Amino acid sequence: MSFTIARTVEDALAAIAAGARPIAGGTDLVVGARHGKAALPADLVAIDRIAGLDDITAGSAGLTLGANASHHAIEHHPVVAGSYSALADGSALVGSPATRHVGTIGGNVMNASPAMDTGAGLVVLGAEVELRSLHGTRRVPISELWSGPGRTIAQPEELCVAVHLPQPAANSGSAYLRLEYRRAMEIAVVGAAANVTLAADGTVAAVQVALSAVGPTIVSVMGLDTLVGSSVADAAEAAAAAASAQATPISDVRASDRYRRHTVGVMARRAVETAARRAAGETIAIPVNRTLGIGAAS
Amino acid sequence: MTVTTPAPNPARFIRADGPDKVTGSGRYTADLTLTGMLAAKFKYAGIAHGRITRLDTTAAKAIPGVFAVLTQADVPNVRFGPFVQDRTLFADGVVRFEAEIVAAVAAVDAATAQRAVDAIVVEYELLPVVNDPETALAADAPLVHTDWASYGASGALVRERNDASFSSIAKGDVERGMAEAAVVVRSRYDADGCHAAPIEPRAIVAQWEGDKVTIWTSTQVPYDARAGVCETLELPANRVRIIVPHLGGGFGGKCGFHFEAHIAALAKAARRPVRLLFSRREEFLAPDKRRESICYDFETGVSSDGRIVARRVTLVLDNGAYTADAGFFSQLGAMHALGPYRIPNLLAEAHLAYTNHQPSGSVRAPTAPQTCWALESHTDEVARAIGMDPVAFRQLNAVDTGLEGPTGQIYGEIGVQECIERAARMAGYGQQLPDDEAIGVAIGWWPSFAVPSGAYVKIDGDGSAQIITGAQECGTGSVMTLPQLAADELGMSAADFQLVYQDTSVAPYDMGATGSQTLFNNGRAVIAAAAQIAQQLRALAADHLEADPADIVLADGQAFVAGTPGRAVPIATLAGIAAGGELLIGHGSGMPPGPPPISGSTCVGDAGMAAWVAPQFSCHAVRVKLDRDTGVARIMHVAAAHDSGTIINPLGAEGQVQGGVLMGIGQALTEGTGYDNEAHQRTAGLLDYKLQTCADAPPIDIHFVQINTPNAGPRGAKGLAEAPNVATAAAIANAIAQLVGAPVRQLPMTAERVWDTLQEVAQNTIGGAA
Repeated sequence: MSFTIARTVEDALAAIAAGARPIAGGTDLVVGARHGKAALPADLVAIDRIAGLDDITAGSAGLTLGANASHHAIEHHPVVAGSYSALADGSALVGSPATRHVGTIGGNVMNASPAMDTGAGLVVLGAEVELRSLHGTRRVPISELWSGPGRTIAQPEELCVAVHLPQPAANSGSAYLRLEYRRAMEIAVVGAAANVTLAADGTVAAVQVALSAVGPTIVSVMGLDTLVGSSVADAAEAAAAAASAQATPISDVRASDRYRRHTVGVMARRAVETAARRAAGETIAIPVNRTLGIGAAS
Repeated sequence: MTVTTPAPNPARFIRADGPDKVTGSGRYTADLTLTGMLAAKFKYAGIAHGRITRLDTTAAKAIPGVFAVLTQADVPNVRFGPFVQDRTLFADGVVRFEAEIVAAVAAVDAATAQRAVDAIVVEYELLPVVNDPETALAADAPLVHTDWASYGASGALVRERNDASFSSIAKGDVERGMAEAAVVVRSRYDADGCHAAPIEPRAIVAQWEGDKVTIWTSTQVPYDARAGVCETLELPANRVRIIVPHLGGGFGGKCGFHFEAHIAALAKAARRPVRLLFSRREEFLAPDKRRESICYDFETGVSSDGRIVARRVTLVLDNGAYTADAGFFSQLGAMHALGPYRIPNLLAEAHLAYTNHQPSGSVRAPTAPQTCWALESHTDEVARAIGMDPVAFRQLNAVDTGLEGPTGQIYGEIGVQECIERAARMAGYGQQLPDDEAIGVAIGWWPSFAVPSGAYVKIDGDGSAQIITGAQECGTGSVMTLPQLAADELGMSAADFQLVYQDTSVAPYDMGATGSQTLFNNGRAVIAAAAQIAQQLRALAADHLEADPADIVLADGQAFVAGTPGRAVPIATLAGIAAGGELLIGHGSGMPPGPPPISGSTCVGDAGMAAWVAPQFSCHAVRVKLDRDTGVARIMHVAAAHDSGTIINPLGAEGQVQGGVLMGIGQALTEGTGYDNEAHQRTAGLLDYKLQTCADAPPIDIHFVQINTPNAGPRGAKGLAEAPNVATAAAIANAIAQLVGAPVRQLPMTAERVWDTLQEVAQNTIGGAA
């Protein structure tokens, strides 16, 4: 049993190669262990004190989130809120203020919960995850990262060090919202993110939609290319129908599959509508769930 | 007509235990550590119903570090229970719910204790699971207790097979009343069970010294806990001492006697102190205190001018596997199903059905919020059926001062009509609202419990005072009100008094933090105790000032001669004199007011709930916004008007209403306990059992209707801890029903159930049009 505090990424990678599991905020690892989901690993390497790993860097190539960037930092970063709104919408809904201050984007992504609030936004924004080991670095499109609930394609010796997002297209906007039964300490019943680019005439030039909590991983809604040129209203309706059709939800104590299939369509429709309003230049404060009262009207 | 009289000098004071709790310096039971202390763990059945065919603790006992492993064979063979003696400390050959305790272990640490629990071998012959209260009442249903007829029980209870307590209330001629009604409305409602969910999972520490045991425990009812230990371990009361450190909430869930005897027995066998710490999951599953699920069939007849002429209602309550303190719930539920209405012809019948579920028991206003929800939803249906406004319907039909309730009790001064008027006004009832918003209104009631209670007061030689009381604080702040009462009696300041409480070996009896009774009864006791000292002080002052004791006034920390404030002596000086002579010691109890008379009704299975001393009334009006695409309801505003008599501390009283309302919102929308086909709870954790959070709390406007209540507690106070939890879910339901176009007939009214009802309404509308 060991607990190593890494000061550099290289320290961390060495510890991980020796069998340690990384821990940053611990909001999944520790809570999961307390609830009997999985025992705490015998060897842990703390990565939360690695200098610079929590940087959020915006540039002409896009946005880079250090793996240790907290949900709180993401939610309140002006560039994320302005240009990558779906991600900020999601980060702002995670757990409680305490969870958002210690929970990190890297941990959230690698925990690979299909109900995660940041995942659908990252998918529609075209994120890539940077995985590093002692042997090198690779970038993986985020929709290819998850292989099942709690599972990723990352190798055991790899550490997620960053999440990269490309520069958004001109005249685009994004949004994430979820169905929730209460306004704090909640997990998405279902959720949807949309990224919409508008043409000069106000029709849809591009649209991406992704869904949370309706399948084993975040679901990318397919077949939306045909919506190019349609009105926002038509695109929203079509996205809702596609979302409901492509969702493969389960029934559990939180909701039936029938209800989830219906409401994920509602969330998809509202995500497209909200993303389009942002694309048109409207400011809709983060998170959409609170501003527009979606899911629990405020 | 009601007379509004403001309380004398209502003081908004911050409770004395507040700083300790907020800063973390307060100590809870789980914070205690004793030398040599062991950890306790329970072996639970894990199945809902089965006969034990093999129970072998050999391997568990052989594990190093294990000091004791106990089963029913190791404790006195005692059946216990406050209403029906249907329970033993450990399973007695049969397990009847999933968290029935089969064995208990004490070991050097929790991990070792858990290993020992896992090493206990238990084999079962599975028995048919009774998973539904209504079918449990069928003549051919499997019995939860095959020996039910041989159990000892309170003589008031009417029992038959799986029906642990049948109760009925009848008045007038319900058949004729229905026949004469212009409209008869029938409704079915089903309420799921739910939980108290206190923030502190319970903890117990037991330590023996010779033949005496001290038990630190997170209980709301120390004397009840002591009585349970004495009964099951066959000990006299003076050898069992119960101490409660700070209690981290209870909401009724920590009423009753729970696991104190198990831990005391373990400590005795291990010859070491033993501590039990519950996990959150255990806190959900094991206590015999879960709010009972109830199903309702209502039938109400009204005249063409909107007067209720007859009501028939049947309730089936889920008792769970053991009766605990639910023996009186059938009658209490029947009273709530009839409600605070004038009904000339009525019949209510209630059954308390054994099932293989966790036992039901007192959770904040047992039977009331769910029954108010069902009754008040039905009431709106009745009002709609005759085209009357729901508020006007209630104003016409609710009881009032001088009128008669369902069992024939004639009410003295009560404020229900003023509550309706106030709540409607605070909510802006009748205002134009957006299409997705509506205001629902509901009225509720709750008894005050008049019971024995005791306290001592003493003033030491330096003039500082102590109240030594049997009262228990569960978070209401009620005990913190006692210094104010003593101070007023003695002309001192509340800050002059320190409280000594929550220790059964130093203070006289009190029923505990249950039934909203602390201020009502222990307040009476403290005032009586303080009055004895006041008499001593007047005699001392009279001597000192050369005056007649009858002319001595106690005020502002002094004793002075009436009309001559200059002739005064500080009470501290008198205390110093007393310290050298007859000490300043008072003891008080006072006679609790007796039950009011009732006439004209017939009550079968009368468990004492037919006549209510100093009844409390409330009206809540709630504005709800509904997302019709998803069924998610959001509470926008709550107006709560309460007649709980005189308010002693407005700050504490408002806190009770705010907490009760928020708990009511949870019960309305998100809190429910479902069972799977094998009678396992499906939401035994805070992830899926969704309590409301501060982020969900709406603005809450509160008004207290303060009237001169006959037979009330100190200064006309009634209770207030439970009443605010009664009407909120009902008012929310009536708003949702307006927005949906039909009532949601299951509680909690989850988003999915609301959405399902919306779909049904839409289909019926399309079907009707076609």
